[in-house]
Amino acid sequence: MEKNKKSGTFYLNPYLSGFIFGMVLLITFVITGRGMGASGAVKSTVVEAVNTVAPGHAEKSVYYSKFISDDAHPMNTWLVFEVIGILAGAFFSGLIFNRLKFKVEHSPKITSRRRLIFALLGGALFGIGSQLAKGCTSGAALSGMAVLSLGGFITMMAIFGTAFIFAWIFKKNWI
Amino acid sequence: MVAPLIPMGVIPESWNNVFAVILGFGFGFALESAGFSSSRKIIGTFFGYDFVVLKVFFTAAITAMIGLLYLSYIGWLDYSLLYIHPTFLASAIIGGIVMGIGFSMGGYCPGTSFCGMAIGKIDAMIFMVGMVIGVFIFSEAFPLFEKLYNSGNLGGKLVSDSLGVSKSLFAFLLTVVAIGMFYGATWVEKKVRKVEY
Amino acid sequence: MNRRNTLLAILAVVLAAGLLIIPNRGEKKEIKPEQLLTAINDQARFLSTDAITERIIGGDPTLQLIDVRPAKQFNTYALPNAVNIPLDSILSPSWTQLLHQPGKDKVFYSNGDIEADAAWQVCTRNGVSKVFVMKGGLNHWYNTIIKGIEPSNTASGNDLDLYSFRQSARQYFTGSAEQGADQPAQAESTQKPARVKVERKPVEKSSGGGC
Repeated sequence: MEKNKKSGTFYLNPYLSGFIFGMVLLITFVITGRGMGASGAVKSTVVEAVNTVAPGHAEKSVYYSKFISDDAHPMNTWLVFEVIGILAGAFFSGLIFNRLKFKVEHSPKITSRRRLIFALLGGALFGIGSQLAKGCTSGAALSGMAVLSLGGFITMMAIFGTAFIFAWIFKKNWI
Repeated sequence: MVAPLIPMGVIPESWNNVFAVILGFGFGFALESAGFSSSRKIIGTFFGYDFVVLKVFFTAAITAMIGLLYLSYIGWLDYSLLYIHPTFLASAIIGGIVMGIGFSMGGYCPGTSFCGMAIGKIDAMIFMVGMVIGVFIFSEAFPLFEKLYNSGNLGGKLVSDSLGVSKSLFAFLLTVVAIGMFYGATWVEKKVRKVEY
Repeated sequence: MNRRNTLLAILAVVLAAGLLIIPNRGEKKEIKPEQLLTAINDQARFLSTDAITERIIGGDPTLQLIDVRPAKQFNTYALPNAVNIPLDSILSPSWTQLLHQPGKDKVFYSNGDIEADAAWQVCTRNGVSKVFVMKGGLNHWYNTIIKGIEPSNTASGNDLDLYSFRQSARQYFTGSAEQGADQPAQAESTQKPARVKVERKPVEKSSGGGC
């Protein structure tokens, strides 16, 4: 079991976690026929919010209207419930492993502010990219790979390949 | 063939959201306990000091993949009812690239950012705010992206089909490759300068 | 620690290798003849043209009409939002996902009953669930709804209700006042390809939501 001695926090063996995660994914497929996801929940929330605040605009928009009609929703709501579960599960894990703490995690070489700016921009890019690829690392890449989807593999390789290159470009932010 | 349970009607559709929460709980727990709530730990894969992302991701993928194939073989699962993430060639690649850049900047992906948020990481929360903004921008500017979004639709194509091998063979090869990567990762971790995070 | 990891690695590879050894079962499992017979005898597989019409007008999202006639006939005239799968390509893999879509009732129709029923039988045998046949086919639909059969003087209340329902359905299908794209009406053939494309989108819509 890995123990990060300096910060004193305990992490589960990654292979064990991976196995548990894989089983959760497997059970998800067995029960629902679909994999998991995360960006879809964000999308649903945005669509719902826009629909509530400005329904006329939402209906007229090509993109929002795709997701508003009554029938297209089961999966989108499902993802929102799933996210509630994710938050709960992660919180629980943080609780029992004593990792609950408000903080901005950043490399000591940069400021909090810089970290947050990059987090915001990174999030925005991820938001755009996930809509284009119709999935994110959990939904397209992981769940897609589990069922051998070509799109899943392509997206996974694109994400990790690009991230690898750009991580070195942004190296100063991290190490 | 009894699975997938809900599409087959074994479990009523109304339970779907209940399971969503339960399964999400497992998801969140598995990820956070592995350390995916920490952006610096996640980014470690790219710098060689912590390959947890690689290990967890691929272990999960091959576990689920092998599991599904076995269940299909013994006749419990109807593989054809599984949702296969559709392949939109151009947008999969470009979307992936954009996400990759976002990943390297933010250090999170949506799933892990939820984990980070749940334990109080403010950078994860800001990342999520960024995501909302990004989705909003995309939706508003959709006409610009529309052609790309819809192009190159190959449907639910399987990677094993496009390589011309059977699903089982592909799963086997991927398992071997993954194990190879795990050994490689352990070796690299030993060689790389330790980073405190 | 390292020995344990090695053992686990070996276990994983063995499991994966196991997949290679086991005989490759075809994914589509045929149902047994007894099951097919039971399904054939179940009259609930026939849906009346009136029931279908009601669902078309109501915009029922669970309805998926499948026209099994040759493409040329489909392009001349077809029911709204129907997808054309000519009978001889019903088993083609490009249609598998559409046919297997959970949550939708797949209703086959042709000019009469025979081709639609043939499609139904082939699909049922291949284990596709929730497939139906529109009884009487397009001919019956056209005769009752578009042309209309005047009720006789001795018609019962039910018959009169049915007649007026069909009359309003006729309004819906041939009138121009109703909302646009779902009308077949006397549509020119240029509209048909567009409609088929629209049909594909709902298949992807459910996919677009997930991630």
